[in-house]
Amino acid sequence: MAVKEFAIDVNNASFFYGKLKALDNLSLQVPRGISFGLLGPNGAGKTTLIRILVGLLKPSSGTVSVLGQITDRRNASQIGYMPQQQSLYTELSVTQNIDFFAKIYGIKDKTVRQKKVNETIKLIELWERRNDGISKLSGGMKQRVSLACAIVHNPPLLLLDEPTVGLDPELRANFWDHFTGLNKQGITIIISSHTMDDAAHCDRLAFIRNGRVIASGAPNELTQSTGQGDATLEDAFLYCVRLGETKNA
Amino acid sequence: MPEHSFTIANRIINQIIRDRRTLALILIVPIVVMTLIWLSFPKELGTLDYIAPALLATLALFFGFLLTGISFLRERSQGTLERLMASPVTRADIVIGYLLGFFLFALMQSLIIVLFTVYALNIHYTGALWQIFVLQLVILVGAINLGIFISAFARNEFQMVQFIPLIILPQVFLCGLLWPVEQMNTVLQWIAKFLPLTYAVDGLRGIMVNGKSLAEVAGDLAALAGFAVAMSIITALSLRRGNTA
Repeated sequence: MAVKEFAIDVNNASFFYGKLKALDNLSLQVPRGISFGLLGPNGAGKTTLIRILVGLLKPSSGTVSVLGQITDRRNASQIGYMPQQQSLYTELSVTQNIDFFAKIYGIKDKTVRQKKVNETIKLIELWERRNDGISKLSGGMKQRVSLACAIVHNPPLLLLDEPTVGLDPELRANFWDHFTGLNKQGITIIISSHTMDDAAHCDRLAFIRNGRVIASGAPNELTQSTGQGDATLEDAFLYCVRLGETKNA
Repeated sequence: MPEHSFTIANRIINQIIRDRRTLALILIVPIVVMTLIWLSFPKELGTLDYIAPALLATLALFFGFLLTGISFLRERSQGTLERLMASPVTRADIVIGYLLGFFLFALMQSLIIVLFTVYALNIHYTGALWQIFVLQLVILVGAINLGIFISAFARNEFQMVQFIPLIILPQVFLCGLLWPVEQMNTVLQWIAKFLPLTYAVDGLRGIMVNGKSLAEVAGDLAALAGFAVAMSIITALSLRRGNTA
């Protein structure tokens, strides 16, 4: 597959926080238009990888290409980024927050922006609360506003760092409805998570541990790799971890 | 002008306007502080006339530093700076946007302090009022950037407040507010030469007490402008994309 067909192309990327190796020669290719899950425990390197993909960090070694370009600031407007923290301006209203991000992501025309902001607020089902300050919203509502800020400019690539953490099952299902809808529009979605529930919704997955990809593939391919008919993704993850430990022993 | 500076400035202004308590404190605190100082000084000796310019400079530096430092720290700790740095905005957008946004409120504070001091507290001054404002503006630009820069070294509001005795207080002691710089020992005089507040106090005292013009305090103005420009550049350079938390 040619490099341009990949939304993400990471080759032997390493990253250090001081002496701590957060990414260890990690390689990963993500085709365009799919939902791709980065799955692994806390501290596995998922957030570091996402921060590299979004251009906040530079890899210590290796190459990282996003939407066919080596990550620098040129493709920032083509990426929607939802950080792990909600990262919203708590004094501002729902509308003001989304409008601010629409503006800095380049929607300059006021009429177009207003229309887009309103559409996005309706999409996240917060129309009735659009004038409320963020501090008055529940945790789940804040997550939805945070997602709205990432998608308002219609980016072809969405990088979502643990977007469903702290959400109740109903809201989690709603989020996945949104993600599926975005996927159908051709948007590539990269989601980091440590829950297997999220993993099951993804088209493809990469299991990440200690800064390395220990396995990747479609969810059913990963479960089948265990050789057990009724294996879950959690079983598949543990199987890959043990397989790696056996090889290293 | 960088493309997104006004958008960022506009957002900051909206944030403070919606936070009514903060807005009220920004406007009321300088009046309370100046009134307390006025009440504590004997009126007949004219001491306050001599000290007032130094107080105006000190309060401009203090409030400018504190207001911006705490706000920018919140931007870091709430993760909004990281989100901003991941967007197409540049470091210059952020620094100029913050400068413009906070400048409005710092300027309001300065105007209130100067006008209240001159008209309500009847502090005697000889120079032109607009020239006092010009000098105050230059002090504020440096103070705002100093606040943004120092916030990079604090992880929470408590740590940020600890920088006041480290960054502001030494300047207050050495700037000539409490006793003339010329009467300090050589080492302290030498240190005072590197502190912006020394030039702010000297310049404002020159205008307000000695009736000098801006041209006559051009040396002080140039030192303050140099500090403001240097702080703006250092602040922009310190905003590395990986250093937002």
